[in-house]
Amino acid sequence: MESNKKYWKGLEEYKNTPDFVENNKNEFAEPLPIEDVLNEAGLSTVTPRRDFLKALGFGLGAVTLAACQTAPVHKSIPYVIRPEEVVPGIPNYYVSSFNGQSVLVKTREGRPIKIDANPNSGVFNTGTDAQAQASVLDLYDVSKLHGPVLKDDEKASWAKIDEFVKGELNKAQASGKKIRVVSSTVSSPSTKGVIADFAAAYPNTKHVQYDAVSYTGIIKANENSFGKAVVPQYRFDKADLIVSFGADFLSTWISGEEFTSQYVANRNHKSLKAGKMSRHFQFEAGMSVTGTNADTRVPVKLSEEGPALITLYNTITGNNLAGASLPNNVTADKAIKLVAKELLQNKGKALVVSGSNDVSTQILVNAINSAIGSYGTTIDLDNPCKRYAGNDAEFAEFINEMNRGEVAAVFILNANPGYDVANAKAFADALAKVALKVSFADRKDETASLCDVIAVNHNYLESWGDASAYEGVYSIVQPTINPVFNTRQAEESLLIWSDNAVKDYYQYVRNNWDKNILPLFGKTWKEVLQTGVFIAGAKPAGAYNFSLSLAAVIPTILNNSKSLAKDIELQVYESASMRDGRHGNNAFLLELPDPVSKVTWDNYIAIAPKFAEKLGYKEFDIVSVKAANGYTIDLPVLIQPGQAQGTASIALGFGRTMTGKAGNNVGKNAYPFVSFSNGTSKYATTVQLTGTGRREELAQTQTHHSFEGRNIIREATFTEYKKNPAAGSGNDHAKHKTYDLWPAYEKPGNNWVMAIDLNACTGCGSCIVACNVENNIPVVGKEEVRKRREMHWIRIDRYYSFNVEGDAHAEGGHDAHGTGINAVTKEKEIAHLDNLDNVSVVHQPMLCQHCDHAPCETVCPVLATVHSSDGLNHMAYNRCVGTRYCANNCPYKVRRFNWFNYWNDSRFDNYLNNEFTQLVLNPDVTARSRGVMEKCSMCIQRIQAGKLTAKIEKRPLKDGDIKMACQQACSANAIIFGDANDPESEVSKALRSERIYYVLEEINVQPGIGYMTKIRNTDTTVQA
Amino acid sequence: MRDISLIIRRVWKSAFMFTALSVLIVSATQAQDVVEGRKIFKDKCSSCHQLDRNSTGPALTAKMNELDEAFTIKWVRNWKALVDAGDKQAIEAAKFSPSEMTTFPTLTDDQIKNVIAYAKAGEPKKEGDAAATTATADTGVSDFSIAGIVAIILISIAVLVVLGRAIKMLERLILQKRGVVLTEEDNVSLVVGVRRLFKNKKFVFFFILCLVVSLGSFGWMGMWNTGVHTGYQPVQPIKFSHELHAGTNQIDCQYCHSGAFKSKNASIPSVNVCMNCHKSVQATEKYNGEISPEIQKIYTAIGYDPATLTYDKSKEKPVEWIRVHNLPDFAYFNHSQHVVVGEEAIRKQKGLQPNEPVCFACHGPVNTMEEVYQFSPLTMKWCINCHKDAEISGKDNAFYTKVIEAHEKIKKGEKITPALLGGLECGKCHY
Repeated sequence: MESNKKYWKGLEEYKNTPDFVENNKNEFAEPLPIEDVLNEAGLSTVTPRRDFLKALGFGLGAVTLAACQTAPVHKSIPYVIRPEEVVPGIPNYYVSSFNGQSVLVKTREGRPIKIDANPNSGVFNTGTDAQAQASVLDLYDVSKLHGPVLKDDEKASWAKIDEFVKGELNKAQASGKKIRVVSSTVSSPSTKGVIADFAAAYPNTKHVQYDAVSYTGIIKANENSFGKAVVPQYRFDKADLIVSFGADFLSTWISGEEFTSQYVANRNHKSLKAGKMSRHFQFEAGMSVTGTNADTRVPVKLSEEGPALITLYNTITGNNLAGASLPNNVTADKAIKLVAKELLQNKGKALVVSGSNDVSTQILVNAINSAIGSYGTTIDLDNPCKRYAGNDAEFAEFINEMNRGEVAAVFILNANPGYDVANAKAFADALAKVALKVSFADRKDETASLCDVIAVNHNYLESWGDASAYEGVYSIVQPTINPVFNTRQAEESLLIWSDNAVKDYYQYVRNNWDKNILPLFGKTWKEVLQTGVFIAGAKPAGAYNFSLSLAAVIPTILNNSKSLAKDIELQVYESASMRDGRHGNNAFLLELPDPVSKVTWDNYIAIAPKFAEKLGYKEFDIVSVKAANGYTIDLPVLIQPGQAQGTASIALGFGRTMTGKAGNNVGKNAYPFVSFSNGTSKYATTVQLTGTGRREELAQTQTHHSFEGRNIIREATFTEYKKNPAAGSGNDHAKHKTYDLWPAYEKPGNNWVMAIDLNACTGCGSCIVACNVENNIPVVGKEEVRKRREMHWIRIDRYYSFNVEGDAHAEGGHDAHGTGINAVTKEKEIAHLDNLDNVSVVHQPMLCQHCDHAPCETVCPVLATVHSSDGLNHMAYNRCVGTRYCANNCPYKVRRFNWFNYWNDSRFDNYLNNEFTQLVLNPDVTARSRGVMEKCSMCIQRIQAGKLTAKIEKRPLKDGDIKMACQQACSANAIIFGDANDPESEVSKALRSERIYYVLEEINVQPGIGYMTKIRNTDTTVQA
Repeated sequence: MRDISLIIRRVWKSAFMFTALSVLIVSATQAQDVVEGRKIFKDKCSSCHQLDRNSTGPALTAKMNELDEAFTIKWVRNWKALVDAGDKQAIEAAKFSPSEMTTFPTLTDDQIKNVIAYAKAGEPKKEGDAAATTATADTGVSDFSIAGIVAIILISIAVLVVLGRAIKMLERLILQKRGVVLTEEDNVSLVVGVRRLFKNKKFVFFFILCLVVSLGSFGWMGMWNTGVHTGYQPVQPIKFSHELHAGTNQIDCQYCHSGAFKSKNASIPSVNVCMNCHKSVQATEKYNGEISPEIQKIYTAIGYDPATLTYDKSKEKPVEWIRVHNLPDFAYFNHSQHVVVGEEAIRKQKGLQPNEPVCFACHGPVNTMEEVYQFSPLTMKWCINCHKDAEISGKDNAFYTKVIEAHEKIKKGEKITPALLGGLECGKCHY
């Protein structure tokens, strides 16, 4: 039984605009440049015969001369003294930590080239996020400083800096004024120790922590409700029912990757096979990654979130608090009442989270969670998360202190308050009043440029250190490369400036572990360096009962709500790719499409289609966004289906001005829209929009490829699945007999295939970055993405579809092919235009399908792409002459053409166009030249390496020996790779699932990648 | 191509043999075999003698020109006897160095004469040297056969000229007999002669044919060998002799190229590996007590001061070797795959002796290379030919046992080659 849902990639496709229809006819969106040449100058002017002969003669002469040159001399320069552990050509792996998560760093000849999750780091850290994957590029960033800076002197020595800083510190100490260390949250026990030691040496010191995207609301609320000022540990794996109010917990909220693994554990193919699937409701304004994955997503205005929570609380507890009404959102009202019932049924197995940073709202959420018995089950307050401990109020007070002239010295560590706080200007003005301003930034960023001293810090890949993401979980940071530039670790600088007895930070970390941490789990330092992470027996999660009165918090919530309801409600949110903007110069992240809008290299203002129509804006119109505080930015409009009416969303993390070549002035800074009230930063505000009459096309990858309305997404509800596991997959009835035009390939040895679980994929995009890093895929820049020339070998297609009550299977029926092609007619689509608010989303990773009857192979005139005996479609770059026939003939549109030498072309000077950054390239993969096609190779270098290891060890290849880069990065384990010839392999088992279908199987190209149907645990009665 | 060259060779051989023989008679004075002499020299003399300069023993070229051959033969065979017999010249010669020269009683007169000839002639030019050692490898048409083509053309022209003259003479005789009066053109100018020659259709045809054949074959050869660097022998920054290290001293390849058995790179040894021996081995005996200048280069690279036996890290300067074997970046080659996994198959395929390291299969007789040159063409054709022919036994490798089980063709008795297991597919080497 097929779903007869209509899917579309973008509004253009949905509405079938004339532009889209026109573009759709062409394989390449842009007309080929050669045509321009021929049309304008080339064909209209007469080329004189003499000129032609001259050019010919010169050309021939030049070629002859060039050919006369003897073969280039290649030098081979060995080490003078080879480090014992380095064998050229063989990677070494070191454990380290990124952002609190334990990672495994792959190094080749002493340089880190790939980051992956540390396999020792526990059940729920199986993958990495896009930021961790991309972080290796930050090490090779040419925009970094090469040495410390003292008052604009970039050649200052460390000795001079030490002398200056110590002198100023002594002055500050003598004057009795305050010294402040400002940082983002420090979870490292050793760094904390260093700061404490520093404070001991200079007793006026205080450590102020703030986070660009703050969780102070949760911390304060927990302090208020349970006396524990912490971000608790959430356990989405223990929740059968998840209700989220604007928390993007699968992407940016607290610990997205970990939550993804936990969340997916109850929804993936294994869980479904066991007949279990959690249910997830999302109430939110902007369309978030989490929203796209929800079983039921209800658009709710920002001003309605408070009343919605009150309604939920009232319905669950039977209380009768004021303000529990949603007069303008009947859908949400109905949904919440149903959710309340379900929450009560799932007591102890449910979880309610809110993305709000308002203390009152979070207290209310605590009350709800207490009422449904979440504490001790899905929420653990006794082993809290230590990644966020920032205090907005303390930071605000710090600015006041500076303004009052009480502060004599400021040290800024891992933070960029000149950019990422609500009022960066106020901070800058206040900072000017401080005598000693020291930044530990690695570049002259927005904050460091305001400082006297830039004591350039190591990159984390050059550092010693540690981290503690959760109570009792300790991980190590160890260097994987010698410091590239004349940098010094920030902690070491602090140790030196405070005249600590131990001045070497490695020794400090070592001492700290020997004394305080190693005894917790009785391990040696060597074991720590090998394993990377240790968990010292978790305390049992206690059950907490919320027993306070809500009388005080309700009015605050309602007031907030009222003040938001005035104008257009603006939500500023953490961008899924750029996060808070700290990796602002990372080209991999800049070109990572937003999981929902598929926009690269920019932020934008997202507005719902109907609301945009009402305001009179079209897509890509530039509008002026003016906040109540007067801050105005011009941003292009993005029409976002699913956005709540009357709201707009703008991503944070963009608009950096001093981050480096690639990231400067990409998008606009939205931090000034953040406001500070009631002790916390607020990410909801009101704005006014005015048109500017200008227009700028966003660099989107979304509508670049059309699928002609074919049935490539297959979906079923959980209820249907339980009745019939093959529901929606097209496997539950006889298929047409197919005839092959070509003889079958023999695959006697291995047959490499993949299975992708659409129910697990959340669309986060970390696979895209992992693939970029592993396969030397170039970043092409905004202009080229607009021309639809992005190079990603794997993309995640995002399809919208309607949620129409009772429509799912009522009409249309399915065609005889069982493919559903005829299921939806054009007339019907238009009738649904009104429902653009209420869309659901499916993410589908799309990469080369390694078809057995590959259409690309048959059209290549030079046999540059051919089939292998292990089921792969090979691409020989050195054979390719660039006809691009293959791309034209590929039904999946996964082939990419190199229009330029992106690694050696001054027009693409944002990334690889320098020898230093080229060190990030994987030496086992060719860097492709201009004029050749490329595509997913199924990480053939990994397959070959895996086979070689087995050969050398004289053993058969085992399932799991070889992992794809995308598979390794995927926290959700949505990608399963392996040998289909081995019936016991993970992938063979997965491919035997009833949910498996092949995209475009009706054209009989026999793809090698099976997809599992998307299953939604919806309840039709809740829908609009 | 090969067919043409074979035909040419065959024709050429008979024609050239004649000229070669006559040349041989003329140059009978050079009858001593320099190549043979060189071999003996390298084998027995070179550890103490150099041709052009004094080392442990005197510079041989100068000495041989100075000495009488008969004396030299006696001296080499047993110089001690000469000295004991009170030969003045011998006593004088023995004073050259305190270290005693080895005696070689087993060498025949001819052998010693060969060495003398070699010493007098000096080291042959590099290219000839390389060609001599690679003569066994089929590298298409060699310089030798190109010379043959030229010789054929020249001989043909000569024959034509002679025949032409003879015919003319005969015609004239016939005409004279018939009583036709011929105006003698005594002073035919060269220009007229050449012009007349070019009016001769047979000559023109033959000339053009030769031109087309020679240009064609030169062009073909040129294009065929573009980018093929067989015999490439760059001058290295240190005159490191594989012949001495791998040949004479029998040092295992892996001692220095330790990566070959683990990694894709065989890797060039770092300087500290050299220091393992060269901290004490300084070849001072060859340099009048001074440290060999080549070994001194090692010390300079690692910042070692042999006088004080100390290292100075700040003076370290890596040696910039010139890469001899260059594969293009888009071709992936892994040493360990070939020398560990494929060792047996490669040995069998290339017919290596049990005492020869598997490396010789592609790198040639490194133990005889004074300076390393590229032995194999390293072309894709060369790779593929081996992948097609080499037989994998896979007997004691469980990886292959499993793979072989799966192959139907193998069960039918087909030979297991890398090609059969997919070793010819583009993506196996190009990614």
